[in-house]
Amino acid sequence: MWTFIARRLLQSLVVVFGVTLISFVALHMGGDPTYLYVSERASQEEIQETRAKLGFDKPLHIQYATYIERLAQGDFGTSLTYRTPAIDVVLERFPATIELTLFAMSIAIFAAIPIGVISALYRGTAIDGTAMTMAMIGQSLPSFWLGIMLILYVGLGLRWLPISGHSPLLDPLIRGEFATAFANFPSAVEHLILPGVTIAFFSLARNARLVRSSMLEVLNQDYVRTARAKGLSEYTVVVAHALRNAWLPVVTMFGLEFGFLLSGVVVVETIFAWPGVGRLVFNAINQRDIPLVQAAVVVFALLFVLLNLVTDILYAKLDPRIRLG
Amino acid sequence: MKTTKLTLLAGVVIAAAPALAADPTVLTLSQGVDASTLDPAQVSSRNESNMLDNLFGTLYKIGGDGQITPYFAKSYKVSDDGTKWVFTLNEGLKCQDGEALTAEDVAYSFNRAADPALKFTGNTPGFVYSSIQFKKATALSDLDVEIEIGRYNPIALGMISEVYVHCKDSYAKMSPNDAARKPVGSGPYKFVEWIKDDRITFEKNPDFKLAPAKFAKVIWRVIPEGSTRVAELLAGNVDIITNVSPDQKETVDRSDAAKVVPIAGTRRIYVGFNQKEKFRNTKGGQAIAKPEVRRALQYAVDVPTICATLLSFECERATSPVNPPNNNTALKPFPYDPKMAEKLLDEAGYLKDASGTRFELTLQSPNGRYFGDANVALAIGQYFSDIGVKTNVTPHEWAAVYVPLIRAHDAGPLFFLGTGGDTWNAAYDLADFSAPTAGTNYTEWNDPVFFGMWNELYATRDPAKQKEITDKMSARFAEQSPWLMLYFQPNFYGISKRTKWEPRRDERIDLADVSLN
Repeated sequence: MWTFIARRLLQSLVVVFGVTLISFVALHMGGDPTYLYVSERASQEEIQETRAKLGFDKPLHIQYATYIERLAQGDFGTSLTYRTPAIDVVLERFPATIELTLFAMSIAIFAAIPIGVISALYRGTAIDGTAMTMAMIGQSLPSFWLGIMLILYVGLGLRWLPISGHSPLLDPLIRGEFATAFANFPSAVEHLILPGVTIAFFSLARNARLVRSSMLEVLNQDYVRTARAKGLSEYTVVVAHALRNAWLPVVTMFGLEFGFLLSGVVVVETIFAWPGVGRLVFNAINQRDIPLVQAAVVVFALLFVLLNLVTDILYAKLDPRIRLG
Repeated sequence: MKTTKLTLLAGVVIAAAPALAADPTVLTLSQGVDASTLDPAQVSSRNESNMLDNLFGTLYKIGGDGQITPYFAKSYKVSDDGTKWVFTLNEGLKCQDGEALTAEDVAYSFNRAADPALKFTGNTPGFVYSSIQFKKATALSDLDVEIEIGRYNPIALGMISEVYVHCKDSYAKMSPNDAARKPVGSGPYKFVEWIKDDRITFEKNPDFKLAPAKFAKVIWRVIPEGSTRVAELLAGNVDIITNVSPDQKETVDRSDAAKVVPIAGTRRIYVGFNQKEKFRNTKGGQAIAKPEVRRALQYAVDVPTICATLLSFECERATSPVNPPNNNTALKPFPYDPKMAEKLLDEAGYLKDASGTRFELTLQSPNGRYFGDANVALAIGQYFSDIGVKTNVTPHEWAAVYVPLIRAHDAGPLFFLGTGGDTWNAAYDLADFSAPTAGTNYTEWNDPVFFGMWNELYATRDPAKQKEITDKMSARFAEQSPWLMLYFQPNFYGISKRTKWEPRRDERIDLADVSLN
């Protein structure tokens, strides 16, 4: 196990290096960002001066080598727009995005499992048909449209939930301010519901279909028939025997799910004015704030590598046939 | 899509519960974009300066009517050669760190922004200082500060009025990070907190006596999506929002909660005729190098109809780059007269060929940088094609593609652009053409008559004479037409019913002008 983890961590270094190289080249393919950091009326001399201040006057390979050298020392560079360490800017927004993603993932998982299981158990009935039709609709709705509809009807029309904004929960927890986190909890959940549902809707629908098909396959296996023949209750058969094996493809999906949800937050964070890292990166790309985008990309890459590792370990735990090493 | 959204919004607005009762001492505003810094020497965008205008003071202040009036300084004197401006401060000014605000703080503020070691790239060092060739600031006494500039410049006072005065004791000790995030102000409001991408909160500065703050608390919320901003406005959660989509005006106006107020901004929207040598290798490029052709093309475009149909805004066509009230009022906008356009093109020797084409041009435009930009460019392309000038319109991504093209003067031969103007001096608006080689002369227009008038302008200090000269420059500009004159970019503000505020053309939001019913 530990050998496997160590090997995967080493591989992750290669992944992160590759990601930095690709993103560096891609960002610089857009041309010189200096123009975005000078006044409309700047002279050629002033543009050149600013280019030197920002470090874009050097050849690209030198810029990349400098970047990697500093990255190895934990220096992600300074954000061009915020003029503060880029990693600080990213990490400052990260708790809000993680809150939203975890909340959405919880909806996507915990609502999908019962829907998928019930659909499988009642295959071909009206319950199954309704659930799968809803799932199809859920996969067809664009998140920006759903978000705006929820704002208009639930936020503005019914006034049940806040239209936009954020009440921090994870951030005070990380900083050890438990009283603040506790006080913010009700408001934080209220603020999470609309964006969380918007992000989760697509995944919820997909996961429900996945759980259903996986369950259908398992329910026809001999061991399930044997469990029933032994006189076990239907609950035990479904939850203890069938669902545990139906989990395997679903767990693989959930590993990727977190990444998928993270990538989906850009639009939703914008619609709901959620102060997360998705919106930050979107704005940074528009502003050509290369160090900031790079810092976010590295953090995302590390997170993905870590999540895949966790998924692999979880997979092995769930399926004894799989051995890591 | 827009219509669907509008219909749904209308239905919801009618069904919506009444707006929440709001605290009369708290004003909430929302702009689409968060500040990237609150360092007074680094701010570069209007949304940032809107906040800092209320946190920091300036020596003089630019009003909504374009008048420049005393603020932290009560008077000024200019040396005979126009290079030394001595400002006398009001007595009793105080920094928000508790120290007295003196000429030393003012000198420090000006010199700090110019300090090369601090590598500032904001509006003050990047634009103000280069415009007036700032040299240095020196405290002459507790109340007198001298600002030294390269040479006399009629726009110097307005430019100096953009520099925020901050406090030496605090800023000399601050790290760049703290200076960007935890401003110590000198104006009517004090900084409370900044939750990135969410809100910035100010509170009243009780020690500020020059123009006491009206609100106990001011919240600047960041809501990037236009529909969400409108929903928050209609819910009574914000009082002023910027950049409302015009298709939502009718719906908002029909609600009991708010209204949308459109106003022509100061940004000049135009199509430039790029006369750079590289474009002269085509018939179209050669044609637009001639003023008679450029003038002819002015008649081909129906600007008021473009404004009404594509921008949902009633506009009058601009006559020159100069914003009202400093424009040459004797100039009349080019009318829409395609027959006249065709006649002038015939006279210039550009007759239609068998396919009905006189010559071909490419019109490059940004896509999404300015309100309705690509659509307006496409409409202009069609107007030109209608008179036989076959025009191929190519919209481009702004940051990575269009900006480098523009800055290198390589956009064209026709290019769509908007450049910032202001209300306080015609020379400011004309300064895009401060020299044939100026970076902002994206057309590379080089008319010795026009450019020769700058020396006349610099030679006089008499405002009436200066106005006469800038009017002459505007007339010459219209006659030579290096720009296809279009309009001043409209801005749409959403204002709650409890808020009394008249938006300004220059997009500034001075909280002193806002009150709550």
